Amino acid sequence: MSKEMVIQIENARVEMGSRTILSVDHLEISRGERVAVIGNSGSGKTTLMRMLKGYVPCLEGKVVVMGDVFPIRDPQKMKNHHRHIGMIHQHFDLIGRETVWQNVYHGRLGYVSLLKSVFGVCSERDLQICAQAIHEVHLEGKQRRFARTLSGGEQQRVAIARALAQEPTILLADEPVSSLDPALAEDIMDLLVSVCDAYDLTLMMSLHLPELARRYADRILALKNGEIMWDGSSDSLSNDRICEIYEFMGTNGVVNGNGTRASRSAFTWPYGWQGQPLPGG
Amino acid sequence: MAGKVSLFLAVSALLFWSFQGSEFSPGQFWRGIPQLFHFFGRMTPPDWSVWDVLLTSAIETLQTTIAGTFLGALFAYPLGVLAASNWTPIWVHLPIKAFMAFVRSIPLLLLALLFVSAVGLGPFPGVLALAVHSVGVLGRFVAEEIEATDPKPLLALQGTGASSLQIIQHGLIPQVLPQMVAHLAIRFEMNLRDSTILGLVGAGGLGFYVFLYVKQFQWQKSGVLVLAIIALVFAGEFAAWQVRKRLI
Repeated sequence: MSKEMVIQIENARVEMGSRTILSVDHLEISRGERVAVIGNSGSGKTTLMRMLKGYVPCLEGKVVVMGDVFPIRDPQKMKNHHRHIGMIHQHFDLIGRETVWQNVYHGRLGYVSLLKSVFGVCSERDLQICAQAIHEVHLEGKQRRFARTLSGGEQQRVAIARALAQEPTILLADEPVSSLDPALAEDIMDLLVSVCDAYDLTLMMSLHLPELARRYADRILALKNGEIMWDGSSDSLSNDRICEIYEFMGTNGVVNGNGTRASRSAFTWPYGWQGQPLPGG
Repeated sequence: MAGKVSLFLAVSALLFWSFQGSEFSPGQFWRGIPQLFHFFGRMTPPDWSVWDVLLTSAIETLQTTIAGTFLGALFAYPLGVLAASNWTPIWVHLPIKAFMAFVRSIPLLLLALLFVSAVGLGPFPGVLALAVHSVGVLGRFVAEEIEATDPKPLLALQGTGASSLQIIQHGLIPQVLPQMVAHLAIRFEMNLRDSTILGLVGAGGLGFYVFLYVKQFQWQKSGVLVLAIIALVFAGEFAAWQVRKRLI
């Protein structure tokens, strides 16, 4: 019996202005897979994730995530879609002036009615899930600390706990370790993989370093100029292939440091779904 | 080089034109200095018999300021959110920004005069004038603060499935609250200063009695009230500074 498909993409295309920045002919990801997306800056890694999250619209083709067919017009359905897909960002994107616990609780907001969240009413279940999420990322002692006072690695742990509190099925990690030093990066990668195993999550992460991708993923997608140029198990990705993938970056094989970054002005509110794709994605 | 010379000449001409037009006269000022001391001399010794007037009018000034600032903030915060260009479409934020700019362009004393003629003498027109003025000034700061907020954490909250109002409550407000309170403290300080002269047009407070006593040539009494104004403004500045220091 084949495994359940959580992501199915056929002929999807994302444009920015008149330029096609992502074009995926065929991609299927089944439940429980650990997929790493590699490629140069601007190759479409972030755009792929933003498309799955529904932040950028795909113009044509078919995108089905967890049975939801894009584009999702119904706000309630979109909300459901959002809470099934946890996302972790390169710069953590926590609310710095709130505590660790509050930031983790933000993951529950999709389940809590507005009235309850205004008056800070937490159900027993919400409390339990947040406590469990904080336990998973080993931050029990720091629940009352403000997020901005934590180190980068700890902040990324909070972001992982926030995503876990969403009770997601899919975890998207957009360059989760790019702003951490190598030792911390391994810690965070170990943690990510272990929580995905523990909760049977499908993990899709974009990574800058092919070594990390080979070590932590079972499947690797290589993007180049917005197209998938390689898709296979991580052991079958040869060094020659990697060189080919990164061939045109023009910096003598050194992987360009910071890849994609959302521009400050890109957040439009609350008409978000129709927003333009971010530059450089 | 020629550009610099012509700029120098242009600025010189502008300054000459301004001083000429405003009848600037150092000699006249020099001759007036004794008169200045004479004026202060007439205010001393302070006549402390007006302490009851002082107390009631100082309290009235304080009350006017608090009420006016509160009323202004009540409208300024929601309007400021609506005036943030990255949160609302242009047909919402442009008219609101234009309205706030228009309100800011009306001098406070003119506003007070307007409300005095509408609702009569006393502190109430002062409250209205301060409130309207505060909407213009505070609303603009709120909008600018929101426009400068890092949108990425908000997007991350949106990605958890939070609704719009939940994102405002859990994402936007915690990020902008300290600056909002700091701006409110500065506004309070400015309003306190402004409300001391609202009495000039009959809108109550300390200023009203200063001008009353000056008109009656009771210099020693007005001197006491001037001292009270200085003390009050100084206290307001100190309070606002304390608030800001704790927040930022």
